[in-house]
Amino acid sequence: MNLRSFLYKNSTQIMVWFIIVILFVWVLFPLIWTFLSTFKQPLEVYDTSSFLPKEWSLSNYHEVVSDDNFFRFFINSLFITTVSTILAIVCSVLGGYAFARYAFRFRHILLLILLVPRIIPRASLTVPLYMGFAELGLLNSYTALIISYTATAVPMGVWIMSGFFKGVPKALEEAAIVDGARPWQLMWYVLIPITLPGILTVSIFSIREGWNEFPFVLTLTTSTEMRTLPYQLYMLSDSMGIQNWPLVNTFSLMTIIPILIVYLMFEKKVVNGIVSGSVK
Amino acid sequence: MDFSYKQLKKKSVPYVLLIPSMLFVIGVLGYGVIYGVVISLFEVNVYSLETPFVGLKNYIYIFQDPTFLNSLYKSLIFVFMSVVVGIILSLVFAIALYKLTIMKSFFKGLTLIPYLISGIAAATMFKFLFAGDVGMVNQFLSVFGMEEVLWLADEWLALFVIILANIWFVTPFAILILLAGLQGIDEQIFEAAKIDGASKLRIVFQIIIPLISSMIGVSLIWLSFASFNMFDIILPLTGGGPGRSTEVLAVYLYKLAFNDLNYSMASAVMIVIMTLNLAVSFVYLKVFKV
Repeated sequence: MNLRSFLYKNSTQIMVWFIIVILFVWVLFPLIWTFLSTFKQPLEVYDTSSFLPKEWSLSNYHEVVSDDNFFRFFINSLFITTVSTILAIVCSVLGGYAFARYAFRFRHILLLILLVPRIIPRASLTVPLYMGFAELGLLNSYTALIISYTATAVPMGVWIMSGFFKGVPKALEEAAIVDGARPWQLMWYVLIPITLPGILTVSIFSIREGWNEFPFVLTLTTSTEMRTLPYQLYMLSDSMGIQNWPLVNTFSLMTIIPILIVYLMFEKKVVNGIVSGSVK
Repeated sequence: MDFSYKQLKKKSVPYVLLIPSMLFVIGVLGYGVIYGVVISLFEVNVYSLETPFVGLKNYIYIFQDPTFLNSLYKSLIFVFMSVVVGIILSLVFAIALYKLTIMKSFFKGLTLIPYLISGIAAATMFKFLFAGDVGMVNQFLSVFGMEEVLWLADEWLALFVIILANIWFVTPFAILILLAGLQGIDEQIFEAAKIDGASKLRIVFQIIIPLISSMIGVSLIWLSFASFNMFDIILPLTGGGPGRSTEVLAVYLYKLAFNDLNYSMASAVMIVIMTLNLAVSFVYLKVFKV
């Protein structure tokens, strides 16, 4: 087989791989470029002679981690994300089950109330929420952030869980009830294990929301100690004058790594759920 | 008595199950929207204690305000470019991923990475790429003897950079939506088309695209919403500048509320943004019958 006929026969796959390589570079290039700079010295980024760092020094990572504030912001992010995710899961499981299994009055109106918020832009909610939380004296509190993050995660969560509960055969539930299972046992031992992929999907959505959220934390908090990681990153990269780019980039990368780890752990189970959850 | 109590108890189950989610959704999101509408009809700012009812005055004012109109204009360019380029890229990438015979799940998983990153981190990366002095893009251009370009200091180049960053940030999700649509197509259709001698381009335009038109609609909705409401990427990258050249509506609203402390005017902008969102999704729903 000569080259020409080989190229002709595989022209589709050659084209496909050509596009995939572009996709690969397009997605990863900004990340890789940032990653390489985290090993460089502050002035080394101005040196155009080499793209790779002169030595793979971890000093930037050391500097970021040894800053007490980083730990504080990390804990803030972790705490707010965890609590709002747990709340979102509880709400989504209960609400999703109600929509999947019951016919009741106002079902349609309640469903509408749940679906419409998906088109409310977050940044525009900052004004009324700021004023509302100010009246309640909740500015600069975990409570305000947790409440708002949970609220933005719940609509999608209920929707996803409702889809997963609909997929559970009714006979299975009836069998459990015949066997004498109480409602909470039915939920805990039967329904939750079956719908675990759904719960994981809701979690990823909510974790992504909480970990990356910016407009709410920007407007609802003013004191330094309440900042989350994205807020601090914004403050770092917004500072005037000469940037210490390697340090900023290291900080940036360290905010990305935890969520990437979570994602990679559940990726297989989650990717399809994420898509189907948003499409339905 | 006991019977009706039991019935009542049984009937109330779904409502009880929905209490927690409704508390959050109505208490926070519903409250936000309604309170926003109310504030926009009054004059609430920090300069006076009184908050008189002014009706539609705030709305009339912003539609005559060149700053607002500039933001609207910049938003439309930003959204239009992001959506047009975004949907073409998403289609090409989705079809390539679909046609991939090996390592499909690896590349699929990789595609979603930008979706998981915070807008701030994405903006930081693009700021680093396009920085005048240390930026990779300028270093690359200098290899070809080109002069340093101050990307973020020029109004149109800055707009270009935020559009590019936005496309990087929002297309991955659109790609996966389209891929889900492609995977739902019955493969026999392709076999039949091949037997009939249809060219590859014809297969794409006359079979694939019509078959996934509803998914294209969903992707378009996602791209438009995400772009129209984009805030996280623009604020750190340009802060709306230079001047007001990249001040899209969300950034304008933020500055109006939290720099100028004019809550009423900002709320009016909020209602305009939401109305536009509703209108856009309505159009897509009609056109693509999602």
